[in-house]
Amino acid sequence: MLLPLLSAATLLLTPSLAVFQDEAFHIDYHFALLGAPKESTTFFHQPNPASKASLIYTLSEEGALGAVNPRDGSLVWRQLLQGQHQSNASFLRAGEGQDLVVSGSLNQVAAWSAEDGRLAWRTATDGVLRDVEILELSDGKEMVGAKDAVALSGSHGAQSSVVRLDGATGAVKWTYEFDGSDEAYQVSASSTHIYAILLHKTLLGYLRIRVVSLDPVTGKKIDEYMLSSENELATADTIVSVGANSASPIIAWTDAAHSTLKVNVVGSKAISSFTIDQHAGETVARVQVHAPYHINSLSHFLVHYETATSHWADVFHVDVNNGKVTKAYSLPKLAGKGAFSTSTSDANVYFTRITRDELSTVSSASHGILGRWPVTSFGVVSGIGEVIEPVHAVSEVSVKGDAVSAIRTVVLLSTGDWILLRGGTATWNRPEILASTVAATFAMPAEVEAFAERLQAEASSNPVSAYVQRLTRHIAELKDLPALLVSFPQRVVNGFLGTSEDDLASDNFGFHQIITCATRNGRMLALDAGNPNRILWNRQVADLKKEQAWNPRLASSKGGEVTINSQAGTGFRYNISNGEQLVSILPVDVEGDAKAAREVRFTMTDSALDATVDSKPAWHFSPASGQTIHSLVPRPVNDPVASIGKVLGDRRVLYKYLDPNLALLVTKSSLTLGPSNTATFYVLNTVSGAILHASTHNDIDLTSPIATLISENWLAYSFTSAASATAPKGQQLVIGELFESLVPNDRGPLTGNQNYSSTISTPEPYTLTHTYQIPEAISKLAVTRTKQGITSRQLLALLPDSGAIVGIPYNALNPRRPVGRDATKDEQAEGLLRYNPVLEFDPKWLLSHQREVLGLEEVVTSPALIESTSLVFAWGLDVFGTKISPSFSFDILGRDFNKFQMLGTVAALGVLTFVVAPLVTRKQVDQRWKFL
Amino acid sequence: MAGTSALPPPPPPQWVLELTAPTAPSKAKAGSVPDPPGFTPTTAIQSRQSKNTKGTAIAPRKQPSPEEMDTLKIKKAWELALAPAKQLPMNAIGMYMTGNSLQIFSIMMVFMLFKGPITAVLNIQGTFQRLETESNRAQMLGVKAAFVGCNMLALALGIWKVNGMGLLPTTRSDWLAWETARDPLERAYYVPSY
Repeated sequence: MLLPLLSAATLLLTPSLAVFQDEAFHIDYHFALLGAPKESTTFFHQPNPASKASLIYTLSEEGALGAVNPRDGSLVWRQLLQGQHQSNASFLRAGEGQDLVVSGSLNQVAAWSAEDGRLAWRTATDGVLRDVEILELSDGKEMVGAKDAVALSGSHGAQSSVVRLDGATGAVKWTYEFDGSDEAYQVSASSTHIYAILLHKTLLGYLRIRVVSLDPVTGKKIDEYMLSSENELATADTIVSVGANSASPIIAWTDAAHSTLKVNVVGSKAISSFTIDQHAGETVARVQVHAPYHINSLSHFLVHYETATSHWADVFHVDVNNGKVTKAYSLPKLAGKGAFSTSTSDANVYFTRITRDELSTVSSASHGILGRWPVTSFGVVSGIGEVIEPVHAVSEVSVKGDAVSAIRTVVLLSTGDWILLRGGTATWNRPEILASTVAATFAMPAEVEAFAERLQAEASSNPVSAYVQRLTRHIAELKDLPALLVSFPQRVVNGFLGTSEDDLASDNFGFHQIITCATRNGRMLALDAGNPNRILWNRQVADLKKEQAWNPRLASSKGGEVTINSQAGTGFRYNISNGEQLVSILPVDVEGDAKAAREVRFTMTDSALDATVDSKPAWHFSPASGQTIHSLVPRPVNDPVASIGKVLGDRRVLYKYLDPNLALLVTKSSLTLGPSNTATFYVLNTVSGAILHASTHNDIDLTSPIATLISENWLAYSFTSAASATAPKGQQLVIGELFESLVPNDRGPLTGNQNYSSTISTPEPYTLTHTYQIPEAISKLAVTRTKQGITSRQLLALLPDSGAIVGIPYNALNPRRPVGRDATKDEQAEGLLRYNPVLEFDPKWLLSHQREVLGLEEVVTSPALIESTSLVFAWGLDVFGTKISPSFSFDILGRDFNKFQMLGTVAALGVLTFVVAPLVTRKQVDQRWKFL
Repeated sequence: MAGTSALPPPPPPQWVLELTAPTAPSKAKAGSVPDPPGFTPTTAIQSRQSKNTKGTAIAPRKQPSPEEMDTLKIKKAWELALAPAKQLPMNAIGMYMTGNSLQIFSIMMVFMLFKGPITAVLNIQGTFQRLETESNRAQMLGVKAAFVGCNMLALALGIWKVNGMGLLPTTRSDWLAWETARDPLERAYYVPSY
């Protein structure tokens, strides 16, 4: 009887720094993203051959493989393949009627269960993969079980080879190695042959296409020939398409000027040549071929021409018997960009054309339109005046008789959204562009910041003027009264049901901050942190060439606007509410405070730090020989500290070493030079360049991430120590705290000084450190930030291996935890526990709780307007955000506050008073009438 | 109206009379209940006295002389003055038992501990007024000083307790909020190199 009571009591006593159950899924948000899907690796496929329901499979540019439910756009499963953000080609194939999808990236061929994404098998090839195909043999002999896969691999300078992999186990059935050092390009399978296409470089530097046909059963070479592409092919870029797995695979290429199109049916040496119409002098910028992907569908294909302002298409038919290619019909030229998708139904082939405002389907046999749907809206936001264009599309068509009865099309739009059109109406959209976020920042809307400033002004002025100010503010607010009265019932209802308001302007708590994200392809978009399902705007801010890096850095220097600095240019400012570009009048000023008299600017050049004062060199830091700079983290410019000392249990004070000019610098041995893998962590005074603290760690696994953080008067870093003869591989988290003196009540040598100059004297801090063994690697560290810094801190750590983000309370890491003895009474009063070198991540610390957040790379925090709360936003592949209160929500009512109960109690008391009042009066009168 | 005004007011009803008239103690009741033992009603004493004047007259108690009165008053005053000191051990034990945590009970006790001596010292004139005469005024000064001293002891106990509870700003941490961080004369900014 006592035991459960006791345990209940202890539950009440111990503070649990947790995500509360009623807050999970409400205060946090998560976009489980795949990244922009690639056209060649996106398709509809039935995971279960018995049922007709299909899923959308894609392997994205971010290297994420996944299945999406076409009904609502929800993710069914996904797997992260290695080689994220790499330009390596990756492949995804599914055999007809198969319950496996086969992926290929780098040198790994893997098969995944189509239904739940479980790995069926994985095989490594010798070289980098060039192509993967499913072998669809029509002879029926080997059709039992899973279909085999063919992989073409080859690295530069090495021999290319083709392997046939068993569809059920991934075992290699045969390997064929090509002679010569021709670059492997693609593999293609018809019903009887496997064709490998290689590019042979001629002496003049041109490319010739070499076709090797192999026997699918034995892997022996049947035939080999060169196509006479003459001097047309300078690079592999102008090879438009090598059709795969159709009845008659084709190779199509153009010359560099896109003036002629050459088509060869693989297996024959004949080349058909077609002149590309040059409409009205516009040069064709891109030529694409859309061909069906099924072995028993008609061998028709569509060629899609694109100029800067318009697009059109021609449909070609291949005569299977003699290999002749003839042009069947043309689709008219339309303005803007368009996308074509190919779908098959039995042997028939249908082409669907998606333009800005229309969706239409034609049969490959004739140009009669089978279905036409106007698209009024794609249902996504864009920048001001931007026209949303389709980039590529995949369709699933169901045909009844001569008309298309239903069509589902997934379209990647130029805004980076991936949407599904059912007929012509947008059903769902996935903001896949967020998966390529490279920089993000929080910004306050101008109204909210103005409100916060007014409150600040009231708080800091004398009581009388503060009262006058407040009075005038309230009078000014009276003009909003009618609107408020109208919306009042709705607000009350919202308040009770807990449904948040969408209003950005009336955000008194600062939860509705705007997060602006810059993406790898030069776009910028904005999310509302309080209502993240809505993208506020999405616009192109930088015109980047392909593969051009731009390293954007976002900053919000003042309310209502965000500044973007990048390689493309500095000081572009945008209005965060609508994305409008602001005219840059002010010169770009470094984010800073006005108090500082002298400015020291330091910058990191190639493996050295250089600082200048008034454009004269101040100091220089170069790492020890054999070491290179790994990272540099300066203390944040806006890092409020509530108290300059730590109060001990006996009420004495340890003074913190607070200097805004601190930076944590990591140097590591360069992999090419040093035999031992060491990393050194320096705390620098960035005004004088003095090293305040340094620690070196040996035997570090330098391939693992090293995460660093400096804030207030403490620093934290995490690394993976390599396995050695004496110790196993393990992850460590080191935390250090800097004090002015370790003697309580002592402010060190600068006692009593109001200000100080680091160049004259730099008192050295006294540093306490503790190292903790942690269960998994941390890829990035961040710390919660609150408005005044009163709230205790939480260390936010991204855990890439478990796909989670964890918030470690600072007190659990405190470097003042006593070592080798139990905490004394005074230390217990401070909340210090005995030091334990192994730090387990309490499951309650996981901010991402049940969610699986993959591929996170960065995390930023921002203070809300109320002191208790800090906003968190993490990105990478997925996007995750939440708001946390490390010291609990002491200044706002939580969701657990029962408003119904409170109002019910008040109402019940009111009713009770009315009911009881006459009873009491009567009793008092009766009392009067009683004698003795 | 005119007709009715001529009539004399009707006699008040019986219950009004009974209500206004004080109820006479019913003789029957008083008579039937015997007095408790040792209680002598005043009437009985008077009658006994009147009886006794005739017979064996008891000598009336002698009025004390003013000197004696002063001695008595001083004695009484000393008793009063030392009363707070007598409570000290009990208070000290009580304070010790309540612990140093800030709870409503201990806070109330500490409040009472402060309130008692202070109000006692403020009301010192009233306390000793009855015992003070022209002749013993000089002696009374010493008594009052002792009274104040005893109350101060109780107050000291309270301060000791408040200190134990950590409510006195005696340590460095209590004044930490008024200490300011030093301002650096230089500020360093990181400029990324593109």
